Amino acid sequence: MKLLTKISIYYISFSLVAFLIGGFIFNRVIKSIFYTQLDENLTTEKLLIVEQINYSDSLPDFRTVFGHLIEVTVFNEPKQKFGFIKTTFLFDKEKGKLIPFRHLIAEGTSIKNRGYIISIYKRLDETQNLITNILLTMTFLFLFLMALLIFVNYFSSRSVWGPFYQTLQNLNKYDISQDTPLELSKSSTKEFVLLNKALTRMSKKIRRDYFSLKEFNENASHEMQTPLAIINSKLELLVQSEKLSEDQMHLIKPVYDATTRMSKLNQGLLLISKIDNNQFFATEKIGIEKIIEKNLENFEEIIQMKNIEVRKEIEEPVVLTMNKSLADILISNLITNSIKHNVQNGHISILLNRKKLQISNTGQPLSIDPQKLFERFRKSDRSGDSVGLGLAIVKEIINLYQFTIEYLLSGSIHTLIIDFSREGKLDDQNAS
Amino acid sequence: MKVLLIEDEKELSASIETYLKQENYLCETALTYNQAEEKINLYQYDCIIVDISLPDGNGLDIIRELKENQSETGIIIISAKNSLDDKLSGLGIGADDYLTKPFHLSELNARIKSIIRRRNFSGKKELLFNEIRIIPEAMQVFVNEKLIILTKKEFDLLIYFLSNKDRVLTKESLAEHLWGEVMDTADSFDFIYTHIKNIRRKVMEKGGRDYIQTIYGMGYKFLSQ
Repeated sequence: MKLLTKISIYYISFSLVAFLIGGFIFNRVIKSIFYTQLDENLTTEKLLIVEQINYSDSLPDFRTVFGHLIEVTVFNEPKQKFGFIKTTFLFDKEKGKLIPFRHLIAEGTSIKNRGYIISIYKRLDETQNLITNILLTMTFLFLFLMALLIFVNYFSSRSVWGPFYQTLQNLNKYDISQDTPLELSKSSTKEFVLLNKALTRMSKKIRRDYFSLKEFNENASHEMQTPLAIINSKLELLVQSEKLSEDQMHLIKPVYDATTRMSKLNQGLLLISKIDNNQFFATEKIGIEKIIEKNLENFEEIIQMKNIEVRKEIEEPVVLTMNKSLADILISNLITNSIKHNVQNGHISILLNRKKLQISNTGQPLSIDPQKLFERFRKSDRSGDSVGLGLAIVKEIINLYQFTIEYLLSGSIHTLIIDFSREGKLDDQNAS
Repeated sequence: MKVLLIEDEKELSASIETYLKQENYLCETALTYNQAEEKINLYQYDCIIVDISLPDGNGLDIIRELKENQSETGIIIISAKNSLDDKLSGLGIGADDYLTKPFHLSELNARIKSIIRRRNFSGKKELLFNEIRIIPEAMQVFVNEKLIILTKKEFDLLIYFLSNKDRVLTKESLAEHLWGEVMDTADSFDFIYTHIKNIRRKVMEKGGRDYIQTIYGMGYKFLSQ
């Protein structure tokens, strides 16, 4: 949810709660004010009538109008003092409905020792209408104020938070591996100036570390190459020796295997750091289906040996501008992957069109988290001597050319989909 | 057969030299660009193995110099730089082959033989070994003058063995020779095992001898007697 929306929602909900509570209290207060007033009037009238009864011993002359009804009954014997005021409903024949009244009843004994009952009704519906009207006016006023406040708040927030969104956008677009350092726009708000400063400082530090790490990786892999080559060559000479016994050979074998593994690891890492450092800049137009053909041909015998059925669906010729050896490595890694992890009598399906390359293969279930499939040194227990860099290299090449890759599993079918459309990736970034 | 090895890493140079000398090549070494330049100006070589990154110069310049002299020398680049640019520029200026370090000595040996075979204009482009006769260009193999049918990979295997007679060829080196670096898995070792069996059978069916020996889980060896 956007910041401004969130603020507005908080604002509206708090105001609404405040208004509901306020409105309730206001309603009670205004009602009680009106009723108190009304009851005072009724009491005054009653007192006037009692006074008249006391002094003149006669009933005053009331003009009874509807809505203000006075009934006085006088008795010869005295009456206990008693009285109350309550709200009651009377039926109005003209309007044909019940109408609320405030009703005063007072019983008592006059000075002349005569009892009386005074009953005064006063219409309430007009008062209630008045209260309703006041409340309605208040509601409208409140709604108008709230709308105005939200409006003002929204637009002022937008301009206040503007630099923040700008910073956010710059950060989003920023890639630590690109050549230029992070540039953030200026702001007049102190907090944002501080934020931008902190971010710039942090990104500089990260960039420095990133580049020195990259350099270290490449240098380390590079420096390891020669010693490894020497070990390899000496081992190869050693196994040629006629004097070696079987026991000695069995001792040399693991050393040879381990060294081979190390060399492969080293070459893989070197390749990754070279891709990382963008050292494969020579690009040309590459026909992808040709590379697929070539690789399938290269591994034809192993495919036959495992009795794997290859289904190939080239929907249209696809030409990509890539570095030739990287394109080769990409495709061959994917295809060997689909062969290595395949099962006897399995199948491989390859689908190629302008948008994507999809390679599916039957295989054992993954023994690693699919999320980590493209990480370095991630490998299933079954892949034996593999150094676990194949898919990491694939991912590296994919990143370099801003393609995307996705892994899907349905049943025992593993699918890797490479999406060639760069726009797709940009959309993803915006959405996230 | 005269070979010049231009490689600045002493120990690596020594290993290659040892291996090639066992193949009865006349192998000379140069550790620097200057030494190499001197030697190519003084002597004629059948094949030159050159490292691209030398302490005092670029191996590519040596290739250019050789090519200016219209030399018929075969050239193999060996480079630690696993980069296509080197490979392309090297092959572009006339190198015959390119090997990335680290490589198997047996692979280097096979490449040298292949170049020399291709450059051997006078002689017939044939490989002869006892009762086996191979015409590489036609991909034909005769045993006792009877044609045997080998698959492409079996054919490659046989040539590789014949290039490295009496050598222990590790399974890894065979797999890499057949498929490149990516296919060093149990699958490929199984495949190699099956196809070596096939080669043996096909050669023996036509009265050939069984030359291929298994070496204690390490690999195989093609015996010359």
